[in-house]
Amino acid sequence: MIGIIDYGVGNIKAFANIYKNFNMSYKIVKNISEFENVTKLILPGVGSFDHAMTSLQNSGMREKLDELVLNDKLPILGICVGMQMLAKSSEEGELLGLGWIDGVVKKFDKSKIKDGPLPHMGWNSLNIKKDNKIFENLEKNPRYYFLHSYYFECNNKEDVIATSNYGEQFECMINHDNIYGIQPHPEKSHHMVCSY
Amino acid sequence: MLAPRIIPCLLIHNKGLVKTVKFKDGKYVGDPINAVKIFNEKESDELMVLDIDATVENREPNYKMIENLASECRMPLCYGGGIKTVEQATKIFNLGVEKIALSSVAIENPKLVTEIAKEVGNQSVVVVIDVKKKMFGGYDVYTHNGTKKTKVDLEKFIIELQSFGVGEIVINSIDNDGVMKGYDLSLIEKIKPLVDVPLTILGGAGSLDDIRKLIVKFGIIGCSAGSLFVFKGKYKAVLINYPKNEEKENLIRNKK
Amino acid sequence: MKNKDHIICVNCVMDTTDSKITFDENGVCDHCQTFYKDIKPNWHTDEKGWQEITKVVEDIKKEGKGKDFDCIIGMSGGIDSSYLVYLAKEKLGLRPLVFHVDAGWNSQQAVHNIEQIVDKLNLELYTEVINWEEMKDLQLAYFKAGVSNIDTPQDHSFFATMYKFAQQYDVKYILTGGNYSTECIRNPLEWMYYQSDSIQLKDIHNKFGTKPLKNFPVTNILWHKVYLPYIKKIKLIRPLDFMPYDKEEATQFLVDKFGYQRYAQKHFESRFTKFYESYWLPKKFGFDTRKVQYSSLIVTGQMTREEALEKLKKPAYDEKTIKQDFEYIATKLGISVKELQSYMDAPNKTYKDYKNQMTIYDFGAKILRMLGIEKGGKR
Repeated sequence: MIGIIDYGVGNIKAFANIYKNFNMSYKIVKNISEFENVTKLILPGVGSFDHAMTSLQNSGMREKLDELVLNDKLPILGICVGMQMLAKSSEEGELLGLGWIDGVVKKFDKSKIKDGPLPHMGWNSLNIKKDNKIFENLEKNPRYYFLHSYYFECNNKEDVIATSNYGEQFECMINHDNIYGIQPHPEKSHHMVCSY
Repeated sequence: MLAPRIIPCLLIHNKGLVKTVKFKDGKYVGDPINAVKIFNEKESDELMVLDIDATVENREPNYKMIENLASECRMPLCYGGGIKTVEQATKIFNLGVEKIALSSVAIENPKLVTEIAKEVGNQSVVVVIDVKKKMFGGYDVYTHNGTKKTKVDLEKFIIELQSFGVGEIVINSIDNDGVMKGYDLSLIEKIKPLVDVPLTILGGAGSLDDIRKLIVKFGIIGCSAGSLFVFKGKYKAVLINYPKNEEKENLIRNKK
Repeated sequence: MKNKDHIICVNCVMDTTDSKITFDENGVCDHCQTFYKDIKPNWHTDEKGWQEITKVVEDIKKEGKGKDFDCIIGMSGGIDSSYLVYLAKEKLGLRPLVFHVDAGWNSQQAVHNIEQIVDKLNLELYTEVINWEEMKDLQLAYFKAGVSNIDTPQDHSFFATMYKFAQQYDVKYILTGGNYSTECIRNPLEWMYYQSDSIQLKDIHNKFGTKPLKNFPVTNILWHKVYLPYIKKIKLIRPLDFMPYDKEEATQFLVDKFGYQRYAQKHFESRFTKFYESYWLPKKFGFDTRKVQYSSLIVTGQMTREEALEKLKKPAYDEKTIKQDFEYIATKLGISVKELQSYMDAPNKTYKDYKNQMTIYDFGAKILRMLGIEKGGKR
């Protein structure tokens, strides 16, 4: 069963609707007692890094998630700011991230983006860098909806599985063991759903 | 490469969809839910839904309807109309809407932009500015569905909004609304250099060619349209349409 | 209590779920008999039929000289009406105005198909959008009434709108895609009562509706079956009856030539009708409209009885999507899934439980059959 972590941030309903339409079992997890039977986690996220990290801390689920993800190796997919939270820190905020994937979050260098504003907003294509089972059943020329001004930079390039281009190539999908991150919004990209 | 966004804009009046001409004479277009469902199935880039009564009637947004619309969208949805407080904005956000659009309230209290952005992130705060040509050059900013002229200086306001952290600006041309004879390109020429955040233009699109012209001239820009995606032919028959993926590719790559 | 035996016609697939069905000594049902006795001998799709329709077409062209269009074609986006539009323009040389009534339930395929046909044939489109709040209220009233034919609001509005337009703009010819080829066997009245019975519509609305019908178009049988054709000379023509019409061939043709998107079943261009025919009727009443459609195809040689029986083994609705479809219907009607389910579970009613104009229909049908104007007809 998929567990969608509801810590007060992110478009929970959009995810719920997708799983409902695919007839896949899911539950919305709001506190530590609700993780029973969950085999995979979704960590949504929008807004600012600090706001998301604070909300996660305040939800009381932080320690439980550390345990499930780092000890029990439960698969987790962080989306948008949810992916950025996997980092050690972000240029956007003061707080520390979850630190589950070795890397930091940086702001786009505006000088490199010709004729494009920030945030990076709209449909852009994915360049797959490494084979990964999450790409099974993915369409040819995948395009996703992006909405962000910051991006994840992995210290270990082995963790990068896909990039996109905005001014320059930037990492938009990462994977380390059971931990996945995707910068754009698969839940708002029509049928671009990855095999998670 | 990032593609320019092509965004249908739907207006809600008395719970139904309408399409106006110069902000007047709303023609009934039908039920919002089915329209949104069809745009979703046609895989629109995004969708903008504006409740044009809420501010005029000084009432709360229709949360049930918003929730129903959001559940039909597997693409980003921007909702506007009657949002005056942070609580309303976050409530709507939690119903599954990606972006909140503010209009008159951004003029009365631009700080609200910052306050809402704190909760949902800058990228999700949009301000829609309705403009009309002045008699002797320049543009006036209007509110309340084009009925109240303000004393706001358009250029100054756009710069000010960005300092308050707005995530996207939508310029809506009242003169070109529903006329379907093309966008006001000179207006955009004036505004674009002042805008560092995503900019979307609404008002006047009569054909996909108008969208192409916009993209050729301005590159990465949001091309929004109401009548174009809702009407067909000389009798303005109501038929929801949207460029297919190949047509969109051609538009984006400026091919004929 | 012992259940009545379930008997299927040996020729088609109509059966005793039509409670008024009768069989002859060979086990052939009265639907088939009516077809072979009354319809088939008078139905000409050969040279004779072509001559008949070309004569009508000449009249249409004469009448339409100097006008923007010479006829209107009711187009739902379904196969019959889509093929008819092509035929009218390309084969019969007419200048039709394509007329579409939007009742709020168009599927994406319907909208796409209408667009493709209109664009590729370079025709003008006219749409009338029914006031959704009133349509919603009326549809809910029908649910509450518990009758089988809850699709009456849509059907009624389609015809009423077209007739009103024709009268308002003095359009003498309305073409529709109705045809014997796929509809010679009709839904029993028990399953689908006359959608044009405005007395029943008003009675159900009075009893269960909450909003006045201000904008909703209401017609009545005397107005459009007597006044319009005989006094105003506005005629309804069914061109598909005058030539060979093979459903599958027509469908494939539309797919190849117009990029047409197929529907899972007849009438599924409307999301509501899809729910109505694949779920409400069979699940609540045991009425499976596929039997009617397949039986028409069987007697016209477009499907074998074996094929039909095989198809009927599967449920009428798609088990994979029914839950979402059900939710969508409820959401769109502004009610909860629980409330919609309560209408499914409520006692079944019939058209006889509400005011109706059956006597007029019975009388009218007799006259029309006597005059040879209508062959077959509903029962």
